Amino acid sequence: MVPTPMSAIVTRGLSKTYGARERVLGGRGEAATRVRALTDLSIEVRQGEIFGFLGPNGAGKSTCIRILLGYLHPTGGSATVLGRPVIGDAAEVRRRVGYLPSGISFYDTMTGEGLLDYLARLYGRGSPRREALLDRLELSAATLRRPVRDYSRGMRQKIGIIQALQHDPELAVLDEPSEGLDPLMQHAFYDILDELRRDGRTIFFSSHVLSEVERVCDRVAIIRAGRLVALSDVEELLRRRRRRVEMRVEGPPPSLERVPGVSGVESREGILTCQLEGDVGPFLAAIAGVRVFDLTIEPARLEEAFLEFYTDDPPGAPS
Amino acid sequence: MNLTLFRRTLAAYRVRLLAVGTGMFAWGFVLPIIYATFGQDLKELVEGNPLLSQFARFGGGDVFSLHGAIALGFIHPFTLVLMGIFAVGFSTVAVAGERQRGTLEVILARPISRHAVYLTLLLAGALFLALLLAVHLVASVTSASLMGVLDELELANLPALWLVGWLLFMCFLAIGLAASVSFDRLAPALGITLTIVLASYLLEVVGSLWPDAAWLQDYSLFHHMAAAEVLDGQMMAGDIALFGTVIAAAVASAWIIFPRRDLAAPS
Repeated sequence: MVPTPMSAIVTRGLSKTYGARERVLGGRGEAATRVRALTDLSIEVRQGEIFGFLGPNGAGKSTCIRILLGYLHPTGGSATVLGRPVIGDAAEVRRRVGYLPSGISFYDTMTGEGLLDYLARLYGRGSPRREALLDRLELSAATLRRPVRDYSRGMRQKIGIIQALQHDPELAVLDEPSEGLDPLMQHAFYDILDELRRDGRTIFFSSHVLSEVERVCDRVAIIRAGRLVALSDVEELLRRRRRRVEMRVEGPPPSLERVPGVSGVESREGILTCQLEGDVGPFLAAIAGVRVFDLTIEPARLEEAFLEFYTDDPPGAPS
Repeated sequence: MNLTLFRRTLAAYRVRLLAVGTGMFAWGFVLPIIYATFGQDLKELVEGNPLLSQFARFGGGDVFSLHGAIALGFIHPFTLVLMGIFAVGFSTVAVAGERQRGTLEVILARPISRHAVYLTLLLAGALFLALLLAVHLVASVTSASLMGVLDELELANLPALWLVGWLLFMCFLAIGLAASVSFDRLAPALGITLTIVLASYLLEVVGSLWPDAAWLQDYSLFHHMAAAEVLDGQMMAGDIALFGTVIAAAVASAWIIFPRRDLAAPS
């Protein structure tokens, strides 16, 4: 993969193995227990895009994020963030990055305002976006004067989002950012992301909520058991998805078996169902002369694409 | 070193520092009073009784002289408990405790190197210990002055006593921080540090109270503080070198381990 000058994140063959030697109980000697958390991950995140990073628990998402931010050391491959290598230059990388960890913890005795001030000072720069974020996420001055221990989960998450974005980072790494936010605040958060994208900021976004990834992300990477299984534009991924078609027709059902993109055709008591992939034009042309009373083409969902990658055997699994 | 983190650390511990400082002041204040009021009577009471005499001279300190009383203030279990709040408690919580709570995660997301975090915490801990021992000595001098026995004290030797006391507790602070950066959870860091401190103290206590086991004291860091001798003007370069070596070894170990450690997501 050749990184472009506009690459915010580039990983090449990034691997992480947690290794330990442990004594085998009841055995004679030691055995090495090694867990491959990430295997040969190569991705490129372009500047100015919102990049979704998907995978179930334990797939390696957090491991990848923690390598990018210098918490973990890779056992193979390399990674650069905003053009700088994450090994040896992690502090400089973090100067230009905002990070929201999943399930963030704070100093409970500090007030919200004191905490945001403190975390901003650690960056050694101002907080140009704080007021706008407070406004969007409806955190009042009175709320900020209260100690963090009095905050609800949603309020803590709002503080987490603000601390990650208040210094206007070039790249925001957000791990499960909408966790704990009510639907209203989720939409306010999506608006914030849209605004950041308009301003040319890059968002690296890990989430379990696929509808939200579909709503906000330009491209997604799907990882499974530490390996990349898909890297694509969201639109492209959805375009390639098979959609379920159901139609009620009068008279003999049309012959759809040879229509490009159509598969799994079944007809029963005037109801015809099939799977449709790609361009809908040939399908519409094929049913042009048929009396159709009802036609439903279910929209493609990222969730189905995601599940498709997870219904097969895991990569590297014995067949 | 990071000044913002340093200030925040001082602010976070100010109440505990005030409470422990008050305790150290009270303890430092009371010992010269005990000496001036009961020292002679107690000396007569224990003289002629070898067992009592041995107990009364625990760890090189006693209440039969002002130097002995001040030395006792440095080796007494009460001092160990108070100083341990920072030498052991602060040092082990500083990294492992923050890591367990998940708050270290937020700090390390900032452009601060792990070396800077470590150095800042080491310096903050060093300052806490220095202040507490200074308060303790000021209280003793004030009390001795009020009791009219200040002329028995060689004031010029007080900075040396402050230094050896600080070095002793710095050894434990450095060990605690080294343990703290080596574990993801507080319990093992605290357990290891406490074991080292208590084992060292036990060797001093046993060696001090049991003449046949006096050789054990050489293996105790507390024994090398030798507060009474320092007040008498006999500061041992070997003891200072020992403290320096222990601190340097602990700092070097933490300096190497902390940046190389993988910090997985807090559970």
